[in-house]
Amino acid sequence: MLLSLLIFLPLFFAFVVAILPEKAIRPASLAMSLFHFLLACVLFYRFDPHKATLQLVERAPWVPTFGISYFVGIDGISFWLVLLSAFLTPLVVLGSWTAIHKSIRAFHICLFLLLTSTIGTFVAMDAILFYVFFETSLIPMYFMVGVWGGTRRLYATTKFFIYTMAGSLFMLVAIVALIFMTQDQLGEMSASLLDFYKLQIPFVANSFMNTQTLLFFAFSLAFAIKVPMFPVHTWLPDAHVEAPTPGSVILAAVMLKMGTYGFMRFVLPMFPAATEYWAWLFMLLGVVGIIYGALVAMVQPDVKKLVAYSSVSHMGYVMLGLFALNVYGSTGGLYQMLNHGVSTGALFLLVGMIYEKTHSRQISDYGGLARVAPIYTIAFLIVTFSSIAVPLTNGFVGEFLILLGSFQANRVFTLFAVLGVILGAVYMLWAVKRVFFGGDGKLVTEHAGEDLDIGAREMIVLAPFVILIFWMGLFPNDFLNWSKASVNNLIENRTHYELTIEE
Amino acid sequence: MQIDFSIIDFMLVGPAVALFFFSCVPLLIKVLRGNVEQNSFATLIYAYMGIVVAAGFAISMLGTERTAFDGALVFDGISSFTTLIVLLVTGVALTFSRDSFSTNSRQFTEAMFLTMNAAVGMLTVVWSNDLIITFVGIELFSLCLYILIAMSLEERLSKEAAFKYFILGSFASALMLYGISFIYGTVGSTYLPDLLQATPSLLATNRLFLLGFILLLTGVAFKIAVFPFHSWAPDVYQGAPTPLTAFMATGVKAVTLAFLLRLVASQAFTVERFWPFVDVLQWLTVMTILVGNIGAFRQKSLKRMLAYSSIAHSGYIMIGIIAAGIGGASMLGASGVMFYILSYSIMTIGAFGVLHLLESRADSDLTVEDLKGLASEKPWIALAMTILLLSLTGIPPTVGFFGKFFIFSAAIKQGLTWLAVWGVVGSVISVYYYLRPVVAMYMETPVLRRDTLGLRPLSYFAISFMALLVLLVGLAAEPFYQVVLTSVAKVF
Repeated sequence: MLLSLLIFLPLFFAFVVAILPEKAIRPASLAMSLFHFLLACVLFYRFDPHKATLQLVERAPWVPTFGISYFVGIDGISFWLVLLSAFLTPLVVLGSWTAIHKSIRAFHICLFLLLTSTIGTFVAMDAILFYVFFETSLIPMYFMVGVWGGTRRLYATTKFFIYTMAGSLFMLVAIVALIFMTQDQLGEMSASLLDFYKLQIPFVANSFMNTQTLLFFAFSLAFAIKVPMFPVHTWLPDAHVEAPTPGSVILAAVMLKMGTYGFMRFVLPMFPAATEYWAWLFMLLGVVGIIYGALVAMVQPDVKKLVAYSSVSHMGYVMLGLFALNVYGSTGGLYQMLNHGVSTGALFLLVGMIYEKTHSRQISDYGGLARVAPIYTIAFLIVTFSSIAVPLTNGFVGEFLILLGSFQANRVFTLFAVLGVILGAVYMLWAVKRVFFGGDGKLVTEHAGEDLDIGAREMIVLAPFVILIFWMGLFPNDFLNWSKASVNNLIENRTHYELTIEE
Repeated sequence: MQIDFSIIDFMLVGPAVALFFFSCVPLLIKVLRGNVEQNSFATLIYAYMGIVVAAGFAISMLGTERTAFDGALVFDGISSFTTLIVLLVTGVALTFSRDSFSTNSRQFTEAMFLTMNAAVGMLTVVWSNDLIITFVGIELFSLCLYILIAMSLEERLSKEAAFKYFILGSFASALMLYGISFIYGTVGSTYLPDLLQATPSLLATNRLFLLGFILLLTGVAFKIAVFPFHSWAPDVYQGAPTPLTAFMATGVKAVTLAFLLRLVASQAFTVERFWPFVDVLQWLTVMTILVGNIGAFRQKSLKRMLAYSSIAHSGYIMIGIIAAGIGGASMLGASGVMFYILSYSIMTIGAFGVLHLLESRADSDLTVEDLKGLASEKPWIALAMTILLLSLTGIPPTVGFFGKFFIFSAAIKQGLTWLAVWGVVGSVISVYYYLRPVVAMYMETPVLRRDTLGLRPLSYFAISFMALLVLLVGLAAEPFYQVVLTSVAKVF
C-alpha cells in the first residue's frame, strides 16, 4: 500500500490544489508535500537494506492480454531516488514561494503531477507501467518550462519534449519486442521486469543487426537522451536556462536520474552481453561528456547555463561509473546521482535566489557580491565545493568511487576523467571568483542600498542541502548501506541477473 | 429462390430503420407547417431519439452471430462494434451541427435528415455481406455528404470542397465498381463469403481477378485517404463545415476500414502471387505516414493540420491491416485495427469539435494564432483540447497510446518491425505539430480579443465527454480490448 500511496497521493494533492482558494495554495502545498516526504520516510522502517530483493511489492493485472500489470516494488537501487524526489518537493515549494507569480495554482498542480510520475517511474517494475510514468513526466515539465520559463521558453520546451519522446518511442518498440519474447521463451506474455531478466536474448559480437544489440541501443538511446549523454545532450542547456528555478531543480535533480536509473534497471541486467561489448562506447561518451561539459561551462557568460553544462559533465561521471561494470563504479554512479541531485539542485536554487533580486544571470554583471551577501556567499561556496568534489563533501565520495571503478576497467578513460575533475574546479571556482570577489560589479553598485543577502525562508530551504552535503561526505555508509546489497547483486550476477520478490 | 425473411431480420436492421424513421419526422413536420423551419433543438431531439432507439437495437443484438435477408447482411462482432462507433459519432456530429454557424440554418432539418441517412449508409456498409450492397451503402453516405458539404453557409471553400469530393469520390466509386465487375466476372458472385473462399486460389491463377481485387482496394484506399490517393482529404476537410468534417473523418473512415478488414480476412495477402503488391502496400503505408505527418507539419489552418494528421493515422491503421492480412497472428492485427478505429474516432471527433466550438462565423478557418491564450479565457476547452491532442500524439495513459501500442505490437509480432519503426518516426514528427496548439493555448499571451462565443452547452458537454473517454478508455484499455478481441474472433 505504501508505494501506491506515495505514487498517487500527489495526484490527489493536485486535485486538492485545484479547488483550494488562491491564498491557501502555497501553505497547503508545503504542508502536503512535507506530509508526503514524511510518508516516504516510513520507507526507512519498512525497507530491509540487507536483502537484495524487491520489497513492498504490489501487483494487480492491468492489460492481462499483453501481460501488463500494475506492478510496483522497491529495492536498493530505487530506494534513494524515491526519497530524493520526495525530499526535494517541499523544498521546491518553499524555494519558489516568491519566484512564481503567475498561475500559482497550475504551477503547484504541475509540481504534484511531476512528483507522481517521477516516483512512479522509480518504483514501476512493469515495463509498460514504467513507460507510462516515464512519458507522463514529460507533460508537467513541458508546461513548467513553457508557461513559467524565460524568453526562449517555447523553443526550449518543444525541443525538450521532442527529444525525449523520440528516444522513448523506440524504447516502446523494444519493450513490445521483449513482451513477445517472454511469450516465446517463458510461455506467457509478460511485461514484468522480473520476467525480462530471465530472457535469453541472442547476441552476436562484431555485428549490429542482432536482437540483443538492437534492443540494447533502443533502450540506451531513450535513456541516453534523458541523462543526457554527450551527443544527445543539446536539449538540456536550453531547457535548464529557460526553465523557472523550481523546474530546473526538479529537472536536474530528479528527471535526469530517470535516465541513469533506466540504465541500471533495464540496460545492464537485461542485455549483459551487449553491455559488456559496448561498454567502451558509453565510457568514451561519458568521458567526452565530462570534458566537453566542463570546457563549455567554462566559457558560459550565464550562470545558469554554466550550471546546466556542469550537469552534462557530472552525468558523464555517472555513466562512466555505471559502465565500468564493477561494484565501485556502480556504487559511485548511484551515489553520484544523489550527489548531483543535491548539489545541482542547490546550485539552481541559489542562482534563482539571486536572480529574483537582481534579475540578471550574467556573470559579468556581478562581482564583489561576497561583501554585500555574506551568508549567500558561504552557502554558494559550500555547494560549489560539493560540486567540484572537495574532500569532506559528498561529491568527493561519488567521484572517488567512480574513478576507482573506472580505473579497474579502463585506465586511459580514467586519466581523461581525472582531467575533468580539474576542469570542473576551474570553471566553478573561476565563476565564483568573478561573481563573489573582486571589485564591486555593475549590479552590486546598482543595488547599493538593498539587502541582497538571503533571508530566513531561503536559509531554511538551503539548510537541508548543506546538511546533506556534509553528512553524505563524512558518513557515506549511512547512505550506501541501504543500496549495497542490491548494487552488489546487480554487478555480481549481471550475466544471469535475477530479482526475487520479498514475501 | 425462396424468399423467407424472419422477424429477427428486421430486428437486426433496426438501427438503420430507426435512424431513417426519426430522420423523416422533422422533415414531415416542416412540410406540414408549410416549409417553416421548426426550432432546431426540437429537430435535434428527434435525432437523439432515433440514435437512442438505434443504439437500443444495436446493443440488443450484441453477441449475435448470424446473417439476415438471405445472407445479404451479416451481423457479427465487427458489425456490432462498428455500428456503435457510427452511432456515437453521428450523435456527436449532429450535436455539433446544431451548434455550428455553418450548418444551423433555415435548412437544419434537411441537414439532419442527410446526416442521419449518411449514417444509414455507413451502417449498410458495416453490415454488408455482398459487394453490391457495400457499394450501395458507400454511395448512399457519399451522396449525403456531397450535399451536406455544399449546403454549408460558408460561401467559398465549401463549394469547392463539395465539388472536389464529388468528382474524386465518384472516381473512386467508379474504380471500385469496375473492380467489382471483374470480380463478379471471375467468381460468378458478389457474395462476400463466396468471394473470400475463392480469393486465395483465384488470386494465384486468374489475372482478371487480380486486377479486380486491386481496383477494389484502390477504391477503398481513396476513401480512407491512403497515399497516393490522399490529396483530396485536406481540401475537403478544410472546406466542409467543421461538424461534418468531424463526421466524415471518423464515420467514413471507420466503416471503410471495417469493410477493408473483411476483405483482408480473405487471406489475399498470403497468396504468393500477391506478395509484390503487399510490398507495395507496405511502402504506401510508410509514405502515407510520412506524407500525413510532414504535411501536417507545414499547415497553418488547424483543420488542414488535423486533416493531414488523419492521413497519418490512416497510415498507422494500414500497418495493422497489413499485420492482419499476412496470416499468422492476424488476430492481433485485426483487433489492433478495431481498437484504433475506436480510439481514432473518439479523439478526432473531439479535436474537430473543439475547433468547431471556437469558430465564431460560418467561414472561420482557425489557425494556431487564434488559439493564443485560450487557456486563460476558456480553461476547460483548453484542457479538453490538450488531452485530445496528447492522445493523438500517443502519450500514455490516453487511449491513443494504447491504440498505437496494439497496432505496433501486432506489427512486431508479425515480423513487420520496420513498419512499426516508421510508425514511431511518424509519431515523433507528429509531436511537434500536435504540441503547437498546446503551446499557443497555454504559453502565449492572447494578441487579439476573440469574439465572445455564445454558450453552447451541448457541444461543450460532447467535447468534455470525448476528452473523458480518451482518458477512461486509456486507463481501462483491457475491457475494451477484450470486446474488440471477441468481435474479430469469428472473422479472423
